[in-house]
Amino acid sequence: MEKVWRGRWRGGRSERVKAFALIAKVSKSLRARSRAPSLCRHGLLKLTSPPRTCPLPAAALTAFVSSLNIYRFRSCFPAPFNSSSLRTPPALTMNADNRKGELVDLKSQLRQLAGSRQPGVEDIKRELYKKVISYMTIGIDVSSLFSEMVMCSATSDLVLKKMCYLYVGNYARGHPELALLTINFLQKDCHDDDPMIRGLALRSLCSLRVKNLVEYLVGPLRSGLKDGNGYVRTVAAMGVLKLYHIAPSQCTDNEFPAMLRALLLNDPDAQVVANCLCALQEIYAAEVNISPETALRDREHLLSKPVIYSLLNRIKDFTEWAQCLVLDMVSKYIPSDSDESFDMMNILEDRLQHTNSAVVLATIKVFLHLTISMADVHQQVYERIKAPLLTLVNSGSAEQTYAVLSHLHLLVLRAPALFSNDYKHFYCRYSDPTYVKKLKLEMLTAVANESNTYEIVTELSEYAANVDVAIARESIRAVGKIALQQYDVNAIVDRLLQFLEMEKDYVTAETLVLVKDLLRKYPQWSHDCIAVVGSVSSKAVTEPKAKAALIWMLGEYAYDMPDAPYILEGFVQNWTEENSAEVRLELLTAITKIFFKRPPESIKMLGAALSAGLADAHQDVHDRALLYYRLLQQGVEVAERVVNPAKQAVSVFADTQSSEIKDRIFDEFNSLSVVYQQPSYMFLDKEVRGPIELVEDTGLLPMGPTTTDDVLPSQLVDANDNDLLLGPSDKEDSIVAASNGSHAYNGPDLSGFDSLSAPQRSQSAAFPTPTPQVATTPAATSTSLLDFDDLLGLNTYDVSTPAPSSLKLKAKPSLDPQAFQRKWGQLAVASTVDHTLANVAALSTPQPLIRHMQANLVEVMASGGKAPTFKFFFYAQAADSPPTSGFFLVELIVNTSTASSQVKIKADDASLAPHFQELFLATLGSFGF
Amino acid sequence: MSGAASAIFLLDMKGRVLIWRDYRGDVSSVQAERAFAKLMDGENDPASHDPILLENGVTYLFIQHNNVYVMTASRQNCNAASLLLFLHRIVDVFKHYFEELEEESLRDNFVVVYELLDEMMDFGYPQYTEAKILSEFIKTDAYRMEVTTRPPMAVTNAVSWRMEGIKYKKNEVFLDVVESVNILVNSNGQLVRSDVVGALKMRTYLSGMPECKLGLNDRVLLEAQGRATKGKAIDLDDIKFHQCVRLTRFENDRTISFIPPDGSFDLMTYRLSTQVKPLIWVEAQVERHSRSRVEFMIKARSQFKERSTASNVEIELPVPSDASTPAVRTSMGTAVYAPEKEALIWKIKSFPGGKEYMMRAKFGLPSIEAEETVVEKRPPIRVKFEIPYFTVSGIQVRYLKIIEKSGYQALPWVRYITTAGEYELRI
Repeated sequence: MEKVWRGRWRGGRSERVKAFALIAKVSKSLRARSRAPSLCRHGLLKLTSPPRTCPLPAAALTAFVSSLNIYRFRSCFPAPFNSSSLRTPPALTMNADNRKGELVDLKSQLRQLAGSRQPGVEDIKRELYKKVISYMTIGIDVSSLFSEMVMCSATSDLVLKKMCYLYVGNYARGHPELALLTINFLQKDCHDDDPMIRGLALRSLCSLRVKNLVEYLVGPLRSGLKDGNGYVRTVAAMGVLKLYHIAPSQCTDNEFPAMLRALLLNDPDAQVVANCLCALQEIYAAEVNISPETALRDREHLLSKPVIYSLLNRIKDFTEWAQCLVLDMVSKYIPSDSDESFDMMNILEDRLQHTNSAVVLATIKVFLHLTISMADVHQQVYERIKAPLLTLVNSGSAEQTYAVLSHLHLLVLRAPALFSNDYKHFYCRYSDPTYVKKLKLEMLTAVANESNTYEIVTELSEYAANVDVAIARESIRAVGKIALQQYDVNAIVDRLLQFLEMEKDYVTAETLVLVKDLLRKYPQWSHDCIAVVGSVSSKAVTEPKAKAALIWMLGEYAYDMPDAPYILEGFVQNWTEENSAEVRLELLTAITKIFFKRPPESIKMLGAALSAGLADAHQDVHDRALLYYRLLQQGVEVAERVVNPAKQAVSVFADTQSSEIKDRIFDEFNSLSVVYQQPSYMFLDKEVRGPIELVEDTGLLPMGPTTTDDVLPSQLVDANDNDLLLGPSDKEDSIVAASNGSHAYNGPDLSGFDSLSAPQRSQSAAFPTPTPQVATTPAATSTSLLDFDDLLGLNTYDVSTPAPSSLKLKAKPSLDPQAFQRKWGQLAVASTVDHTLANVAALSTPQPLIRHMQANLVEVMASGGKAPTFKFFFYAQAADSPPTSGFFLVELIVNTSTASSQVKIKADDASLAPHFQELFLATLGSFGF
Repeated sequence: MSGAASAIFLLDMKGRVLIWRDYRGDVSSVQAERAFAKLMDGENDPASHDPILLENGVTYLFIQHNNVYVMTASRQNCNAASLLLFLHRIVDVFKHYFEELEEESLRDNFVVVYELLDEMMDFGYPQYTEAKILSEFIKTDAYRMEVTTRPPMAVTNAVSWRMEGIKYKKNEVFLDVVESVNILVNSNGQLVRSDVVGALKMRTYLSGMPECKLGLNDRVLLEAQGRATKGKAIDLDDIKFHQCVRLTRFENDRTISFIPPDGSFDLMTYRLSTQVKPLIWVEAQVERHSRSRVEFMIKARSQFKERSTASNVEIELPVPSDASTPAVRTSMGTAVYAPEKEALIWKIKSFPGGKEYMMRAKFGLPSIEAEETVVEKRPPIRVKFEIPYFTVSGIQVRYLKIIEKSGYQALPWVRYITTAGEYELRI
């Protein structure tokens, strides 16, 4: 039998022949006992040996096998006939009756073995168990064997036990009534002499995930935490967390967190400590929604000096994964003074030499966070971490490079000069996978400065000519981005123009878009560029973006390109074949502009374009054509003033991401946020982070009406167009852009046109019901107001300033969770109010209320609970107060069934608290109308 | 918080789950298969996709090894670098157990796979990932299974990477100093970038708990000791050590002291970013005769000292994908056309220093052009070689002392070798 095992584990083919022969013996002996059918099992076993030993031709074989379908199933390892028989497990191909019969067979065999004490019975059991597990693995439901499996589990064989635990763990959740059967033997195993079995049994017990069995868990867990063996304690520590996930109150009521805290400080085994740490962190994070005060205090305790130092001092004992965990927690610790910071950095310095990139990144996070307020040291930290980071980029797996490069990119944005001399490390290798190459291109763009631009652009030009299309495109875009961030673009413009001469469609397309952006920033280059652009054959340009760019340039530089009207004419003639609305919009604008410049050549074309535009099925195209038509009716000069005013060069293209978001990502260094380049609240599931994590909402949630006026346009830009990078903050630019038409195709962007939007805005402002009253007036007026504003494409919330009282709130207060916790802990309660809320009865999730509050400048920090009880933490900030003070913190508990709420307010400035209370209650009262 | 993983999946090349282990019950295998299927739909080659993908609020991280994808899923904002590395560690452990990780070996050993996944991760948090430690409580040998197993000492031990009570008849240590040279030369023949990544690879067959000390010709150390630094000392840019090395000792007095794990491991890796002269220089002249044929003239020159010899030199010359009828002449070695790689591979078994060899190759091209012009990829010339008894950095092992309390004599064997890493010359 030994041989069978050896062959199996190692997966050697030659061994398998023998293995099957042995299985034959086993199954024979089984058959002798059970009343299994006695067909030609020997024939089967011959068949299962590799083809080379089999004299039959392949076709005959398959025919034979299909006639023996049932017996193929009999052997738990599909025969290595060919790969397809491996891929489709035979069990799946046979019909339900056979399967059922097979399970019945297995069942009876197991039953027979249950009480047996014969020598060798363990081996037979193992074989049967393996069969069961293999069915389970390929997705056959073997839950009907549950009681037999449990009956057979009385064994001292560790492997058998493990298989049994696995089986039980897999089916317990679906069959809670059967899971009860297992409790007995699992509990018994928890007191086994062998610590391995104790640990495994405890782990299985905790992994059952059956709510009504929780009571049986408490005892074994408690003794597990006190077990003399480290292995059992590691399992137990994790078990506490598992218990918490099934039944939080059972876990906390039994003082398990307190026991974990004791182990955290005193356990000699580092892995126990690490598991305690995971468990405590998760438990406290979840507790915040249930009993915030104690949870916050506990979390603070976890981040206290003695705990942090006890972990730091033994950091080397931890496994690399646990080190990441510890370091991540340490990064949240705020040292009392700079000496302490330096001590910590000295302790952790050598972690930068660790081979595990995750440990290195975690250490870097600690260093950066420790020194964030010490500018000069912070800079030194950057210098120090440079070498380890570069090594990580250039060695290890592609996936590691990917993760590290994502982080490097974030760092470079914060300290651009850091890698400006090491740019060569980011040159792409031919064998790099595409995702690494893309990040390297981003890095090259980010590190480019006056001194290295020439080399970098030269290298990028190589990629544009060389490698695959996706990377070639990215490279050209990178060149463009570098050009837009440099002052001296002389050489770059030449390069870009050379791209146009390469006469590859995709290169030309990308380049045209870039040249357009470049001209908007550096109009002085128009002469050189236009000469080349003019020679581009318009037929070679097929991509909508590139076409739009080309058309814009033709319209804008009509004086410099003699045949511009004629090229555009070609486009107009193909109006109906042009699928992209973007291109058609651009065409309308360009033709109108060219009409102002060279009327005789273009008047006919303008007429054709306008009539085609008016007949266009696309709303925006139609509207624009109509607008131009009516403007032109007002007179050519009026129209020109609107459509083609004098332009200013765009000085800075706005960043697509606000610096606030970037800071948030930086706070979440060494996590997925960095990879996604989004703060975690943007990509995590609401439901999941609800109970598990502190909800960190801000007004930036991408959910429509919550967003404040400032944010909305920038998101539109985000969503629509990445390369235009037009910022809303730059009012002047956006008007220029909109009126020259290169931006206005983004959507119904009427507000860009001053002449139109101005009266609308003033109209809504002069509307008889001033919006502040939305907060207090009943439904009728406010909904009509809402409808009206919707008609105008405006947002009701834009103008709503909810304060009838003297207190005004800041539009976008920013307060991070740590600061919130600190403040909440420090400040005294300014007022507590019990309030009746008639309008919350329909509240089934916290979201609507959050949205409502956000619309009224009250931001949410955390929320949770299930109907009928919800709990919220809000904060707001008085207008005109400095960024770190003037905050109001609110705890709100809403009970929807009794329509009552409890409000607890804390304020930085207690004198303002009554005003705020008034305001807050008014806002609350207006909810739901 | 650093999040936990929800489950580990092992998928086949078609994206079907072979085996999976659920840890937190919030991501099912069906979800995972669906997400992966989307990825395979989107692009023909999942290998070119980012190793991290977000689908319905679940993050999937995956790596490929042979014909298996190893994937993990999480619903939290987890530590990306750590989890990706963990996946690689899973592969290492499986390789240790099954010799090779592939679909076949997984199917044959699924029970062990479950056991391993159970011990390597608990409730989504990585636990023990050292193959040596794991093999103490998950045995693959049926016979030894009968012996009562106890959780190994190492689990609770300060030296988590080594077991007590190891015995060898002959105590030996093999230390390989391996340096790989990365070079990029642009089409004008300019050296764009070069660096050297070195590793001290060790294989130990030592009894007991031996205390090892390694001396290198590290400049910082030698200067600290006040010794002359006549050209022999070297500067290493960024040194990383295996976890067994006492880093504080190294920080204090640059001594590399450690209790080694049993078997093979990388004791130390380092990087050298100083300009390196390309050890083998290749020049290529390409002549295209309209659409009928293309001719290559390749010169390869060894630019290292005559006393060294490069072995197994392989120069991979990219040729057009539609080339045919090769006619090749070489002054040394053999050249074979490998259409599957779209390259001509010129092999030279032994290439002494200071020599120059030539190759001429002629290919026929089809006179008919494809309707859609295929984008030319123009890959670089790539070179592979090994130079034994030679390091670019000049690193030297001055001594390797092994002290064990039983007082045995151990034999250290030291070997140096330089190999080509990413060695690319653009044409």
